[in-house]
Amino acid sequence: MSALSIVGAVDGNVADAGKAIALALGIGLGALGAGVGIGNIFGSMIQAVARQPELRGELQGIQWLGFALTEAVVFYGLIGGLLAYVLV
Amino acid sequence: MKRALALALGLFLALPAVALAADTTTTPDKKFDPSEEWNLHEWIPIHLGPINLSITKAVAYLLLGALLSILLGVFLMRVKTGKDPDRKQALGEIIYEIARVQVAEQGLPTKAMRTWFPYCASLMIFIWVVNMLGFIPLPLSDEKFHVAGVAIPTLAIFAATSTLSVTLALAFMTWMFTHIEGIRANGVMRYLRSWIPEVPKALYPLIIPLEILGQFMRLISLSVRLYANMLAGHMLILTFIGLIFVLGNLFVGIVAVPAAIAFYLFEVVIVVSIQAYIFAALSAIYIGSAIEPEH
Repeated sequence: MSALSIVGAVDGNVADAGKAIALALGIGLGALGAGVGIGNIFGSMIQAVARQPELRGELQGIQWLGFALTEAVVFYGLIGGLLAYVLV
Repeated sequence: MKRALALALGLFLALPAVALAADTTTTPDKKFDPSEEWNLHEWIPIHLGPINLSITKAVAYLLLGALLSILLGVFLMRVKTGKDPDRKQALGEIIYEIARVQVAEQGLPTKAMRTWFPYCASLMIFIWVVNMLGFIPLPLSDEKFHVAGVAIPTLAIFAATSTLSVTLALAFMTWMFTHIEGIRANGVMRYLRSWIPEVPKALYPLIIPLEILGQFMRLISLSVRLYANMLAGHMLILTFIGLIFVLGNLFVGIVAVPAAIAFYLFEVVIVVSIQAYIFAALSAIYIGSAIEPEH
């Protein structure tokens, strides 16, 4: 996987460029969604702790669970993009 | 003393860069490719018919990880509990409490605690140790550099959990235990019926395939989450360091090396522990929800 495949497209290697774009779109759109989601989780956590500081310990477990579940979305995009890049 | 230790550690961590630089100067036409780290060469080939049980880099890391987690357990947990706990016992108790309160009690019902708390706790410790090993430069790699005629493996970072087969095996274990425990606690028919949520009967043709698919998606999401997290972390660090060699300019390092260090610290401080915690907690939740379905 060379970092310069898009440059390669100038020489007429359009398929490689398409794959590179697919990979980038997979990661990028996945990260977009996960960014919103993770921001939401931590924002809600701050609000919750500000209102009821004594619940911090209990909430933290749920927070990290939600964080990891949301963050994994990026990686589904990444794996899909890598599959498109390597296999197709 | 502390400063000298930090300096020695820094020099130790900087060694791979020197080796890599030496490697690229000797073979200048070799292209930099971070995904080559995941081409696992067979060190000791073992083939049993169609099954390939060869010892590769990932297997070596797994064996080391298993050994270290056993040692961690023996040294930290198997101590005589004295009246005044020393630091070792306190650390052991912290790990035990995280495994018990944060992981196992999240999902497991009290009656299943005795059976499944040890599984979840060892899952957490094992994954943490293997993840952590992935960020310590070890002389376990396929590339060699030569000093006075002796071929020494270069120091490299590689995590066994950044290969899909390892995480898939771990996830498959949890998945099997989930169904076995669900059937053992509820019986086959009641367990299968508990998959289907309470919806109008007309929606059943739509819901039932989705729920069955969902059970298999658990297997995929559990394994891919850990795999892709570790893979992406290593790939990021390798790519940023590799930029120096791709662009062939030493001054790129002024930006690339601090960026790589930032990603490294992010991975070591946050991702390693979170992923170990998540994998164990989700295992506990899956097994717990199979034993005691909500309705």
